[in-house]
Amino acid sequence: MNGMADGLVIAGGMVLLALLCWPRHGLVGRWLAARRLARRVRREDAIKHILKREVNGAEATVDGLAGHLQMPTRQVLGLLEDLEHRGLISFEGGRLHLRSAGRDLALHLIRAHRLWESYLSEETGVAEVQWHRQAERKEHLLTPQEADALAARLGHPTLDPHGDVIPAPGQPVPGDVGLPLNAADVNQPLRITHVEDEPPAVYAQLTAQGIRPGMRGLLIEKLPHRLRFWVDGNEHVLAPLVAHNISVETITDCAPQDLLDEEYLSGLDQGQRGKVLGLSPACRGPERRRLLDLGFVPGTEVFAEMKSPGGDPTAYRVRGALIALRKEQAGLVRISSLRPATP
Amino acid sequence: MNTSPAHPAADRILQSARQLRERLSGDLHEQVVEAIYADAARLAGRSVASPGQGALPTWERAVDRFVTSRIWGFPIMLALFTLMFWLTISGANVPSGLLSDLFIGRIYPVLSEGAIRLGTPWWLKGVVVDGMYLATAWVVSVMLPPMAIFFPLFTLLEDLGYLPRVAFNLDLPFKKAGAHGKQAMSTMMGFGCNAAGVIATRIIDSPRERLIAILTNNFALCNGRWPTQFLMATLFVGSLVPAHLAGLASAGAVTAVAALGVLITFAVAWGLSRTVLKGQVSTFSLELPPYRPPQIWRTLYTSLIDRTLFVLWRAVVFALPAGAVIWISANLSVGGTSLAEHLIGWLDPVGVVLGLNGVILLAYIVAIPANEIVIPTVLMLTVLSARLSGVGEGAGVMFELESPASLKQVLETGGWTALTGINLMLFSLLHNPCSTTIYTIYKETGSVKWTAVATLLPVVLGFLITFLVALCWRGW
Amino acid sequence: MNPSLASTPPRQACAECDVYRAAQLKKLGVNVETWDFVVALAGNPNTGKSTVFNALTGLRQHTGNWPGKTVARAEGGFEYRDQRYKLVDLPGTYSLLSTSLDEQIARDFLLFGRPDVCVVVADATRLERNLNLALQVLEITDRAVLCLNLIDEAGRRGITVDDRQLSRDLGVPVVPCAARQGQGLPELLAAVAEVADGRRLCRPHRLSQEPPALQSALRELVAQIESTYPDLPNARWVALRLLGGDEHVAQALRSGELAELYTRTQPPAASK
Repeated sequence: MNGMADGLVIAGGMVLLALLCWPRHGLVGRWLAARRLARRVRREDAIKHILKREVNGAEATVDGLAGHLQMPTRQVLGLLEDLEHRGLISFEGGRLHLRSAGRDLALHLIRAHRLWESYLSEETGVAEVQWHRQAERKEHLLTPQEADALAARLGHPTLDPHGDVIPAPGQPVPGDVGLPLNAADVNQPLRITHVEDEPPAVYAQLTAQGIRPGMRGLLIEKLPHRLRFWVDGNEHVLAPLVAHNISVETITDCAPQDLLDEEYLSGLDQGQRGKVLGLSPACRGPERRRLLDLGFVPGTEVFAEMKSPGGDPTAYRVRGALIALRKEQAGLVRISSLRPATP
Repeated sequence: MNTSPAHPAADRILQSARQLRERLSGDLHEQVVEAIYADAARLAGRSVASPGQGALPTWERAVDRFVTSRIWGFPIMLALFTLMFWLTISGANVPSGLLSDLFIGRIYPVLSEGAIRLGTPWWLKGVVVDGMYLATAWVVSVMLPPMAIFFPLFTLLEDLGYLPRVAFNLDLPFKKAGAHGKQAMSTMMGFGCNAAGVIATRIIDSPRERLIAILTNNFALCNGRWPTQFLMATLFVGSLVPAHLAGLASAGAVTAVAALGVLITFAVAWGLSRTVLKGQVSTFSLELPPYRPPQIWRTLYTSLIDRTLFVLWRAVVFALPAGAVIWISANLSVGGTSLAEHLIGWLDPVGVVLGLNGVILLAYIVAIPANEIVIPTVLMLTVLSARLSGVGEGAGVMFELESPASLKQVLETGGWTALTGINLMLFSLLHNPCSTTIYTIYKETGSVKWTAVATLLPVVLGFLITFLVALCWRGW
Repeated sequence: MNPSLASTPPRQACAECDVYRAAQLKKLGVNVETWDFVVALAGNPNTGKSTVFNALTGLRQHTGNWPGKTVARAEGGFEYRDQRYKLVDLPGTYSLLSTSLDEQIARDFLLFGRPDVCVVVADATRLERNLNLALQVLEITDRAVLCLNLIDEAGRRGITVDDRQLSRDLGVPVVPCAARQGQGLPELLAAVAEVADGRRLCRPHRLSQEPPALQSALRELVAQIESTYPDLPNARWVALRLLGGDEHVAQALRSGELAELYTRTQPPAASK
């Protein structure tokens, strides 16, 4: 009896030991691998931060880095030492500089990040608020070869869904274009060039409000504590802090009144007629291509023929065919209505 | 394909394509589509003369307004589909009876006697004639007539252009569940046959919504399961209420089960689209084509060839081995009792917990090929396991009884109660799809994972719901 | 039992992988050699394309047309004036530009399957919309016939189509048809035969309305492609796909497959 119990204990102990220490797949192995990855992610995030500061004409500081990585300054110093040791950065005259290996790595990270966001937006149904978080993880896992294959698969996109340039391999990354919305003049037609995806809470708010790069609008009113921003047919009231995450550039090819007069297909009542002006930038990927192929191109006349018994979807007569669109889709088609309607 | 740069000229071209692409601004696809439509409009303008807005016949617009109107849209739809199902069920009775009379009443005895006269060993005759032939004959005579009526009717409505209007009318509830309005059509098709319903999901061009439609098609009660529903409702639900209400109660019970299936379709679609399928691509487009007079003969031909015979063929292929398995299990003895009885004994505890019994579970295992043979198999197994004499045709031979009263008597001797009947109705709705459908799902999705989900999800739901019903019933 | 079902590609899982593509391409090559001419049938959904298919093949093969659309390629055959034709029914699509599976099947067949003639079935009552697809087909292949179907329906609605004007503009034969009634089919067959054996040369309309920046990029790339592959009949379209980043076409160019397609077998027009 005793011998058997001993045997069991020994066997159990061996199984436990194997579970813990099995090379690579044991608990210890996994824990070590996760730690290694976490350290690499931290290094790479630091490199990326330095590059981003650099291209926007600012200087990366130890304190700034500590804030960005949410680490105590003491640890950041250790991290920087590690980076220097690896030949990725150098200190010159007390300033942080990227060496060429570090620059290449940072560029690859940015490219991988933006490609992955493009992939998520074009080829999956992953919700928009998740893109950044998933890409933040994926950028550290994609090799340059995998990034190239992804770019080829996506048709070599040049802009990511936030309106940022996806750098080609070996190409420098340009700085952010445009100025913060807070700096724009009231009643001046604007185009959104970039919606910053950090911090996530602010980005989630902007996404939920349907504010995306490529949209056009203008500031209706600018007060110290809030901004009234008219964009793509809707008015948004934004706190200055939130507005700072939106970069805009001024446009000259349209008058303020044109922007205020813009309408959407979803607003067209049964029996009314409209003319397509274009698709909203919020309409992306297969959805956008499908709408274009169905004939929702600028200049096309659309007639709201009938509504389903539940009020949604609505069938539109477009170039001779009767096409049913759901309310959210019709909300992506910019039109100017042709009133009075002639049924 | 050789990926190495064997063609330096090609590489140069690709290189300059890359450079030119970087210089271009805006969406290329968009610019091209606009250019094509501009050209198309210009060319059409040069050669087409039309009377303008009057180009659309007013009757067509009027019909559209009518069939999609707030008041008439749903009643018309309901009336048309009721008519279709009524025609299918009542119209199929007579040819079904004739076929069954021919295959089982006439040919079977001839085959049986012929085999004996030829001196075939009893086990060979049993496997081939009593097992394989009889199961196949059963499937064909029960399955062929309703499908030969249902599919052409369905195709006629489709060719007419009415079905896209149904999808249009029903899109809102499907959208709320995260599915596509066109799923209304594949579900409708599923009421005829789930395998055909799964194939019909091809019209859904959005990957996520198509997958949802495939995974939930089995919740549409297919025509192979209707006889079980009617029989159980008549025997066990009808008897719970006063005699003059029996007909109404049993019809209501069947309708309730079918409605429960639709409800579960929406619930599962809702769940899937918010969990496992969240990352799949989703787009919506639905064209409402102009009404066209259907080509009746063509429709009959194609729907018979493409749908009816195709589904029937697959069912037959799967019914043949099933028949053999059923016969062997009833006749192969281990330690004095047949294999079937052993299996029933093992399955019985599980069955009782679910408010069913071992016979039903075993019948559903051997009847994976076709739901049509569930009732005859249940009867045969009940007689076998209850060791009733004077009923049936012998071990492993499927049969049906003419009078409901004697049928009920046989079942009650086998330990059946109203709970068994009701839970069989539920389990008939909620169990794995038949093997034809499983195979079709695999062909359509090309994925073992999704096939497994489509197969196991209904079984799990079935176990859960029958267990809960049994619990309530017994507690009450 | 049903050929169109047996050849249905597993839709999501494998549509992108290389094995699948390679298998598809190889299969075409073998099949093409057993016929005198291969005719592709393209068209928007709901234009009566399947009716034309059935009318021409005389129901020797059913179309496998499940509700809504032909997802797989259906094939049938017919003989006309001692020549045997294989008719390939492509999926009904609105366009050939997108990445959806059915559009890719249609696009790849037109490019890599090299049909001798492509018949574009158009709905005469909605010509403008249907020309969208026809113009795209004419960009890929220079051997096409436009079948102006449902001409009877158009007549009932008071729409008249000047098919001779349209034929001049498109540079390919245009045949008004009412396939359901069998009207215009003899003329359609004659036009197909003429284009197939090279008696009738097409000068297809090419697009011209792109924005200037795109046009100049196209010109530059087309010049480069044409100087390298003078036999390529659709350099402009290839250039457009390359600019759009179509990796499939880029791969065919890189491997030399695209060039081989148009040099290995001379078009019948040149051989006669």
